[in-house]
Amino acid sequence: MNEVPDIVFFLGRFHPLVVHLPIGLILFAFLLEILSKWQNLKELKVAIPYALLFGAITAATACVLGYMLSLSGEYDGPMLDGHFWFGIATTLLTLMAWLISADKIKFIKLKTFKANIASLTLLVVLVSVTGHYGGNLTHGSDYLTKYAPFGEKPKETIKPKTVEEVVVFDHIVYPILEDKCISCHNPSKKKGGLSLDTEENILKGGREGITITPGDLSKSDLIHRVTLNPHNKDFMPPEGKNPLTEEEIQLLSFWIENNKADFKIKLVDSEKKDEILKTALAYLELGTENVTEKIPKLKPVDSLLIGTLKSKGFAIRELVYNANIFDVVLPSKTAKSPEEAKALLQELAKIKDHIYWLSLENNAITDQELTTIATFTNLRQLHLNKNAISNAGIEKLKAISTLNSLNLYGTKVDQNCFASLLEFKNLEKVYLWQTAITSEHVKEFTAINKKPLLISGVVK
Amino acid sequence: MCDNHEHKKLRSNNRDLQEIEKQIDRRHFLKKTSLGLGALAFSSLLGTEKLWANINAESSPEEILNAYNKNRLGLPHHLPKAKRIIYLFQSGGPSQMDLFDYKPKLTDMFGKELPESVIGGQKLTGMSGAQSTLPIAPSTFKFQQYGESRAWVSDAMPYLSEVVDELCFIKGMQTDQINHTPAITFMQTGNQLPGRPSIGSWLSYGLGSDNENLPTFITLVSKNGKGQPLKASLWGNGFLPTEHQGVQFRSGKDPVLYLSDPENYDGHDRRHMLDYLSHLNDLQTDSYGDPEIQARMAQYEMAFKMQTSVPEVTDISDEPEHIFDMYGKDSRDPGTYAANCLMARKLLEKGVKFVQLYHQGWDQHTYCPGGVKNQSKKTDQATAALIKDLKQRGMLEDTLVVWGGEFGRTIYSQGQLTETNYGRDHHPKAFTMWMAGAGVKPGFSYGETDDFSYNVVKDPVHVHDFHATLLHLFGVDHEKLTFKHQGRRYRLTDVHGNVVKDLLT
Repeated sequence: MNEVPDIVFFLGRFHPLVVHLPIGLILFAFLLEILSKWQNLKELKVAIPYALLFGAITAATACVLGYMLSLSGEYDGPMLDGHFWFGIATTLLTLMAWLISADKIKFIKLKTFKANIASLTLLVVLVSVTGHYGGNLTHGSDYLTKYAPFGEKPKETIKPKTVEEVVVFDHIVYPILEDKCISCHNPSKKKGGLSLDTEENILKGGREGITITPGDLSKSDLIHRVTLNPHNKDFMPPEGKNPLTEEEIQLLSFWIENNKADFKIKLVDSEKKDEILKTALAYLELGTENVTEKIPKLKPVDSLLIGTLKSKGFAIRELVYNANIFDVVLPSKTAKSPEEAKALLQELAKIKDHIYWLSLENNAITDQELTTIATFTNLRQLHLNKNAISNAGIEKLKAISTLNSLNLYGTKVDQNCFASLLEFKNLEKVYLWQTAITSEHVKEFTAINKKPLLISGVVK
Repeated sequence: MCDNHEHKKLRSNNRDLQEIEKQIDRRHFLKKTSLGLGALAFSSLLGTEKLWANINAESSPEEILNAYNKNRLGLPHHLPKAKRIIYLFQSGGPSQMDLFDYKPKLTDMFGKELPESVIGGQKLTGMSGAQSTLPIAPSTFKFQQYGESRAWVSDAMPYLSEVVDELCFIKGMQTDQINHTPAITFMQTGNQLPGRPSIGSWLSYGLGSDNENLPTFITLVSKNGKGQPLKASLWGNGFLPTEHQGVQFRSGKDPVLYLSDPENYDGHDRRHMLDYLSHLNDLQTDSYGDPEIQARMAQYEMAFKMQTSVPEVTDISDEPEHIFDMYGKDSRDPGTYAANCLMARKLLEKGVKFVQLYHQGWDQHTYCPGGVKNQSKKTDQATAALIKDLKQRGMLEDTLVVWGGEFGRTIYSQGQLTETNYGRDHHPKAFTMWMAGAGVKPGFSYGETDDFSYNVVKDPVHVHDFHATLLHLFGVDHEKLTFKHQGRRYRLTDVHGNVVKDLLT
C-alpha cells in the first residue's frame, strides 16, 4: 500500500467535494422532468440531457476520486463496499439516462413505458442510497439517526452507583474513547487503520504501530499521540475536535500502566488505586462528600414585594441566582418595639417559604412574634440573638423541621429549653452565650445527647 | 433652585473648555458610532429597547425593582457557605516550621548540610543562594499536640493552641513567587504583577454589598509595621469598576479622616448639594461615557453614608471589659493588630463582606526564633480571641477566617547557625496556612511536607487552588466570575485553579 503516491491521496480528498456535483445535477434533471409535464414549462425538457451529461461526467470523476480516497485504507467494511458499488451503478445509470433522454437509445417496443421518468426516478433512489452510505462512512452510522425523533435511542451505559461496581475499562476507559476517539476509529471508518471499538481491535492497533502496550506508556502510541504538542500534525484528536482533558489522559494512562490494560479489572482491585481514585470519582461524578444540598426550584417572588420589604429595612439577598431562596437580614434595631417587629414580620411572612437564612438580631422580638416565625418552614439558619425571647418561644420553633442552626445568644432562655431543643428534627448547632445557661448545663446536656451541639461563651 | 437646567445639555461658556468638549477621542467615537448605531438599529428591529436599556426615568417600577433585586451577574452559582470573610494576612512569610509544621526528625540533624536531593535544583534567592553551606536549623520552639484534633502547635502561639479544633490547616501551600512584592501580589490578586483585581474586589464586584452604608471591602493595616512595604494595589480593583477597591481604614484613632463636618457648617444641605452634583456628573457621563465618573459618584454617596456609619462602627467604647481582656491589652491601643481584630469583628457584624487585615514583620532572615516569638506575641492572643468571639456570637457559621502569609521559610539557616539562633530565607515550595469557619472542616489538617518542610509530599494546594476554594465557599464558580478587559476575559484564577473539595464540610 505504501507505493501509492501521495498525489493520489491528495486528489482522493477532493471526493467529498466533487461528489456533490452529480447529486445536484441528477436531482436537477429529475426536477426538470417533473416540471416539464406542465404545458407552459415543457421547453425545460431541452435542458435535461445536458444536466444528465454533466451529471454522468462528474459522477465518473467522483468515482475515480472516491477510489483514490479508499486507497488510504481509512475506510473499510461492508459500508465501503456498498458505497463503492452503488456509486458505480449510479454513474452507469446516469449515462444510460442521458442516452435515453437524448434519444440515443430508443425503447421502441415499449411505447407506453415512460423511459425518461422511470430512469430518473431510479437514479434519485440510487443517489440517495449511495449518499447515505457515503454519509455513514464520513460521520459514523449513527450520525443521521442520533437526534431523530423516531427510532431507538442508543442505549446509555449504566452508570455505576458505587465505587465497588466500577470496572476501569467499561466505566472509565471506554466512555473516554467513545467520546473522543471512536467517531473516527471504528470498524467502518478506521482512520489510520485503527479501530478502538472492541478489546480485540484496540490490541490489534493501527497501521502506524502499537496502540497500547500493557504496562508501558512509552510504547503506547495512544498516549503518545494525545500528549503531543497540539500543533504537531500527529496530535490526536486532530485540530478542530475536542482534545482529551488532563484528567482523561491520567485515567487512560493509569489503566495502561497500572492496570496493565486489563479489560476486566475493577477500580477497587487496582494496584495504587489511591493515586487515581479522586480523579476517577470526579470523572464518574461519584463524589461522596460532594453531595450538595438539593435546592428546590421555587416559584419566583413578586419583585414588587421584595422591593417593599427592602424599603421597610430588610436586606434581602438571593442565595442562589434565580432559585428564589433568600438570605434575609433585618439590621439590628430596625424594629424598636414589639409592635413594629410584629408588623415587619407579618410583611415578611408573605415570602416565608423562600427564606433559608434569617437574621433578626436585636429587633425587639418577643415570644409572641415567634408564632409567626414558626410558620417559616424552610429556614436553615435563624438568628434571634439579643431579643427578649424565652423557653416558651423556642417551644414554638420546633415546627421548623429544616432548621440547622439556631442563634440564641443574649436571650432569656435557660436550661429548661433543652427539652424543646431535642425535639427539633435537624438542629445541629445552638448558640447560647450570655444566657442563663452555664457551661455546666451544657456539659450535662452533651454527656447524654449527641445533637444538637450547644455553644456557650468562652468568656462570661 | 437649579432645576430648570434639567433638559439642557450642559455647556461651558469658556472658549477653551468648549474646544475640549467638542473633542471626542477615537475610542469613544468608534464606540458611539458603531455600537451606538448598531444597537439602535437592532433594538428598533426587535422592539426590545426596554429590555436591555439601563434603568431610566421611563422604566417601570417593576423593571427598576428587578434590576435592583437580582444579581446582575447571575451569582451565586451555588448555595454559599460563607457570607463574609476576614483575611488575617501575615506579611513577610511566617516560618511554618517554627509555628505549625512540626519536624521532630531534624533535631538530630542540627547543622548538617541540607541534602541536594531535597533542594532538587531549586533556584534560591540572592540572599542565601551564594552561601557556601546550607546548614539545617531545627526549630528551637517546643511543639505539643492540642485539642481533640491533636494538632501540633509550637509554644510561640499558646492562645491559638486553645482553638485548634476550629482550624483547618493547609500544610501543603505552594506559590510561584520567591520575593515579597510578586508573592504578596500573587496571593492577593492571582498574578505576580500589580494591576489585577484583588480577591476582595472580585467578591465585591460579583456579590455586591450587604450593607449599603459601609464599603463592601475594607482594609486594615497594623500600625508601626516594619518590613516589606504594603501598597494599595494589593487591595486594588485592577480593571474592575473603581468602587470595588478596598477602602483602607487608617490605623489610628480616626480610621477615616474628614468624616466630621467642618467648623461652622452643620451639614443640613449636604444631601441637596450631592444631588445636584450627581446631576452635573450625570450630564458628564452622558456626553463622555466614562465609567470613572459613575465610580466617583458612587464614592461620594458612600462617603456621605460613612459620615454616620463609620463613627458608629469604629467606636469601641461600648465593648465590655472582658472582650478587651480576651483580645489582649493591645486591643485598647487603636491601630494595633489586636485593635484591628476587634474592629474587624464589629465591621463583619455590620455586614461588611470582606475585611482584609495586614500585619507586617514576619520576614525573619535573621534572629528567627526571637522574631517569630515577637510577632506571635503581637498577634497570637487577638487571633485566637477573634475566633472565639466569632464563635460565641454564632458568626463562625458563615464567616470565613483565613490566616497566612505570601510564602514560607527555609529549613536551612540563612547566615550563621548557632544552638539558639538562626535566620530563614524565603521559601515558596511549601508553607502553612489555615482557615476556619464557614464551610471548612474544623479540627482538620490537610497536606504534608517532607521531613525538611521543604517539599510538599501529599496534597499540595497551590495559591490558585486556594483562590478557587475561597470563591467556592461564597457560592461562586471561579471559572464563571469573569471580567472582559482589553479583549479577553479575566478571572481571579485566570486559567488555573481547582476547588480543594477535601477542605470543605
